[in-house]
Amino acid sequence: MSDFHELIKNFSKTREYVRDFFVYGFKSRNEFKDKSPRTYDNERRRLESWLGPYVQKDYASNGSNISLAIDSSLLDTNPLFRVWKTKSFTDNDIVLHFLILDLLRDGKALTVEAITDSLLRQYGTLFDIQTVRRKCNAYEKEGLLQKEKSGKTVVYSLDHTLTLWLRSNGSVLDALDFFQMAAPLGIIADELSEQLDHRNRTFRVKHSFFVHTLEDEILLALLSAMNQKSEVQLKMKGSKSKAVSTVLCVPLQIFVSTRSGRRFLCGYLERNRRFTCFRLDTVKQVLPTKTAAEYDILLEKLDRNRGLIWGVSFQNNGRRHTDTLTMTIQAANPEENYIVDRLKREGRGGAVTQTAPGVYTYETRVFDCNEMLPWLRTFTGRILSLTCSDPFVERLFYQDLQTMYQLYQINGGGPGSRA
Amino acid sequence: MELFSEIYSCYYQVLRHLLNSPQGITIQEIHRRICSEGFAESMLAIIPKLENGTWNVFSREGELYLTRLTPPFTMPLSHLQKSYLKALLSDPRIRLFLDQKQLTVLSDMLAPVVPLWLPEQFYYYDQFSDGDPYEDEAYHRHFRILLQAQKRRQYVDIDYNGPRGNRVRHHYVPARLEYSVKNNRFRLIALKKIGHGKMKPEILNISRIQHVRPLEKKLSSSVDLNVLIRHSYYREPLTLHILDRRNALERAMLHFANYEKNTTKINENTYECRIYYNQTMETELLIEVLSFGPMLTVMGNDRFLGLLRARLRKQRDLLSLQ
Repeated sequence: MSDFHELIKNFSKTREYVRDFFVYGFKSRNEFKDKSPRTYDNERRRLESWLGPYVQKDYASNGSNISLAIDSSLLDTNPLFRVWKTKSFTDNDIVLHFLILDLLRDGKALTVEAITDSLLRQYGTLFDIQTVRRKCNAYEKEGLLQKEKSGKTVVYSLDHTLTLWLRSNGSVLDALDFFQMAAPLGIIADELSEQLDHRNRTFRVKHSFFVHTLEDEILLALLSAMNQKSEVQLKMKGSKSKAVSTVLCVPLQIFVSTRSGRRFLCGYLERNRRFTCFRLDTVKQVLPTKTAAEYDILLEKLDRNRGLIWGVSFQNNGRRHTDTLTMTIQAANPEENYIVDRLKREGRGGAVTQTAPGVYTYETRVFDCNEMLPWLRTFTGRILSLTCSDPFVERLFYQDLQTMYQLYQINGGGPGSRA
Repeated sequence: MELFSEIYSCYYQVLRHLLNSPQGITIQEIHRRICSEGFAESMLAIIPKLENGTWNVFSREGELYLTRLTPPFTMPLSHLQKSYLKALLSDPRIRLFLDQKQLTVLSDMLAPVVPLWLPEQFYYYDQFSDGDPYEDEAYHRHFRILLQAQKRRQYVDIDYNGPRGNRVRHHYVPARLEYSVKNNRFRLIALKKIGHGKMKPEILNISRIQHVRPLEKKLSSSVDLNVLIRHSYYREPLTLHILDRRNALERAMLHFANYEKNTTKINENTYECRIYYNQTMETELLIEVLSFGPMLTVMGNDRFLGLLRARLRKQRDLLSLQ
């Protein structure tokens, strides 16, 4: 273990490990078949180091398991943000970071030569001019320093106006507390709060799915391509098959499920001439290629299709363009009006009509009714009838119900009989 | 704009805090701070660099490490951070926090910055359509009173319209403001006195609050909210067996990610998941379990099994009548 380092250079490998531990939370050493035991041990040690308070150890017959006990409803922050704070660096990086920013704190503009000279005079540290220039240019690119040219002279300075304003406005810190948990790329709000020596103790987020922060680098690259209206090449890895493939598409919108936190890129595939959604956790790399000439037209087209998408699927099992689904439910008036309210607020634009006292019909037309099944099942106990123009969906719905009757032996016996 | 960059790293933050001690700091105190702010093994990496002067940012005076910087050390905002703030300005919920004057000042400071995203670039396809009224003045007022009271641990007098139309009025201490992404709604987790000095957490929808008034009284004792929440769980968790077909395992693990839970593998294709919950979570959890159909099997507790079986029995009866 002598070559063990707590910090890492590359995020992508670790992203998969954390995801496996977090999402599944029960894999033992023997179950990580595609990695060497040494790699497993190092990754596990890192995870325990970064996320110590949340790591849980269990002993099972197939070996010891570690898992992450991260229950979003009980936490004021996303512990997985810590994984973003593990980038390795050189000794020069960290020393120059503090010394250059301290040297320029009062807003004065200095040349690289003057900065190098002052580092020696004021702080007693000797750096060569090239190293200092590289760091200043890198910080200018990151936005930490301003670079100005006056004739042949290049000077660097920094501006604390915004930082000081944020620090003196407590309500901005409250907003950062909230958005770190509730908005995309919450890691940025978390780091900003940390930089301003503030910590959330006010907000919690229900239905917050912490693991998805691991896809934020991919999300950032996609947003950047979308802002530039650029086509992208995606390097994908199947979640189950692990097969690697590449896809060319025009990235148009990020679809988000509030029930699982899963995020998808909705893109247009020129080759197949259709829209498709890709789960962000299967995207490994995003490379912008060229400007998408018809970007705005494609966005409009997507908008027109939106009313027909239930989730993320643009096609069904058959050759039909769309399918129609009708569900009739029982809900006594007025005491069960909340059921009718559920149909309206969760039904994504489907029509809700009262067809008899205490009887309501919900009807919708979408590309893929198969995606509706989990939602339809939530009305179990109230469904009078369900019909769908896709016979597969209708059959599967009733078949699953029969399986559940058998599973819980509604007519007696079985796992449900104790109740 | 790099998201995974050393400038945001844990070590940089730890060192910044150490360097912000104007009076100097002992090695024992450095140890203590690295332990509390760094990762578990950070000390092994940081201490030698400080002791041997590789990170030449301290001078030594006897036992003390004296900062070479002029505290407080402040890091300016990066392009990424400015771009993020600019994106927040387009979110309707920002008005819950910032008044018009603050919004104007911040917008002016960020005028040349390109926002990281625009609201229309995200589509929350299964979010409920009846979210909170973020533009409503009364809602803003209530939200801000509750936010301030929460931070000051101050009691508030709340007049509330219950879900069944019943009007209730009580004194509460706001413990947390909870946002539900699915409902696009804020709830107040409020503590209510239940006698003998004990407190009980209750959940109130902020949009149902008719009137809220801050009181002088503050909560004097310390209350651990999570202990109260855990105390409210049923003694027996919900035990599920998940058959790993149709990707059910991964879906279930994600779906139930926000519950306190424990998962173990019991054979080649089956996993056992124990979920801890209380009465207020029960109906939502039942609906979530039903949504998986036969991919999940509820093994216990008896109470949950009873609720599930009652729904199935009712369903069978309704269909047999058709």
